[in-house]
Amino acid sequence: MTVPPPPRRRVAAAVLVAGTAVCLAVAFIDLPREGADLPGIARDAMIQALPEWHHTEVVSTLVYGTRGFDTLGETFLLLAAVVGVVVVCRGREHRRVFLQEERLGRREQEEARGPAGERSRRTRHPRTEHAEEIEQGRAGGGDGERGIGARGPVSEAAMTVVVRTGARAVLPLLTVAGAFLLLSPWAPGGGFPAGAVLSGVVLLTYAAFGYRAVRRLVRPGLLEAVEMAGAAAIIVLGFLGLVLEGSFLANWLGLGTPHTVHAGGILQVFSASEVLEVSTGLLIVVFSLLAMEREWTEEDEGGGDAERDGREEDVR
Amino acid sequence: MIAVNYLGAAALFCIGLWAVLTRRNLVKIVMGLSLMESATYLLIVSMGYRKGGTAPVLLEPPEGRTVESLVHGPVADPVLQNFCLTAIIIGVAVTGVFLAVVVRVAQHYRSLDADEIRAMRG
Repeated sequence: MTVPPPPRRRVAAAVLVAGTAVCLAVAFIDLPREGADLPGIARDAMIQALPEWHHTEVVSTLVYGTRGFDTLGETFLLLAAVVGVVVVCRGREHRRVFLQEERLGRREQEEARGPAGERSRRTRHPRTEHAEEIEQGRAGGGDGERGIGARGPVSEAAMTVVVRTGARAVLPLLTVAGAFLLLSPWAPGGGFPAGAVLSGVVLLTYAAFGYRAVRRLVRPGLLEAVEMAGAAAIIVLGFLGLVLEGSFLANWLGLGTPHTVHAGGILQVFSASEVLEVSTGLLIVVFSLLAMEREWTEEDEGGGDAERDGREEDVR
Repeated sequence: MIAVNYLGAAALFCIGLWAVLTRRNLVKIVMGLSLMESATYLLIVSMGYRKGGTAPVLLEPPEGRTVESLVHGPVADPVLQNFCLTAIIIGVAVTGVFLAVVVRVAQHYRSLDADEIRAMRG
């Protein structure tokens, strides 16, 4: 940033990047090209899709059928990432039993502020001044009630009429597109792209009309409950397969008529659970980031460094 | 000509790696990681491409082809499309985790410079 990186770092990086480039180029030369036959696994998937799943869309039969167990793992990876974001974004909260973050945090703040306590003015980071004005306006509420979109830098200033009209025109189309991706027996992917599109609908509404427009939907209590319900539904689906059919995530529903919404047995249920999981997961991630508290540590004399780092330097 | 896509994916990956290795701004490092992610998407989708192929949907195949012939004829690889689909969603969520950590680091250390964040050195 301010100081250019030492030249040895650039040299080392250049060597490493060049080595990676050579390795990748050598590896990619042998990859199958556009004229190659389909791999056996893809051919099997194409052959099995209709007889085994009554489903015309091979990608969906793979995601929710043949590779259902992998998708389960990926879903819970997504869930873990969402939980990670929620935990990292969470403010200091009132706790009686466990970590007592609030008490510890206050002590840490006071230590950093020093005995004189004169530097309170300097605790403000210039970039947050505007945001803090908003915060002070809302100060006084219960700290335990913080959540997604609650006290963050969420500006409710509406966009211009052009943006709002455009959003009004696009939102119904996007909603229908999301529903189509989920329900249609020939749209690829089912719940994953549908969930992404539907969370995009909510985000577009938020961007165009402000938080007030999505306030009823975007609440941590609701979103987190729906997210967990989606995850639970997938687990229940898998265990019912184990109980009824003898193998985890085996199909235990009627396969239905091909080319209809009912085709595919548990595929559609899995896909619908995945919509809940993906759409609420992405919304939780985005709104958690938007609602992050501004908990800047005190600026110390050296300028810029954190108090812990500053203390280390004092020792040295 | 799909080899161009492969080389593009390799180049994109290397640009991302270069950014991760040489930049000191944490946001730029996250951008480098995102570039590396995108390189994998490009590679996976390109590997699934077949010249003159159709989508792996067993419904209304193009003129002169039957559903049965799709299995043997040129058709995009559904397995790789499946990989890419899930990878994109996970990539978004993981980038969210990175950014949340970056914001917390910035708040704690009052700096985004990776060289100034020394408490990690132990």
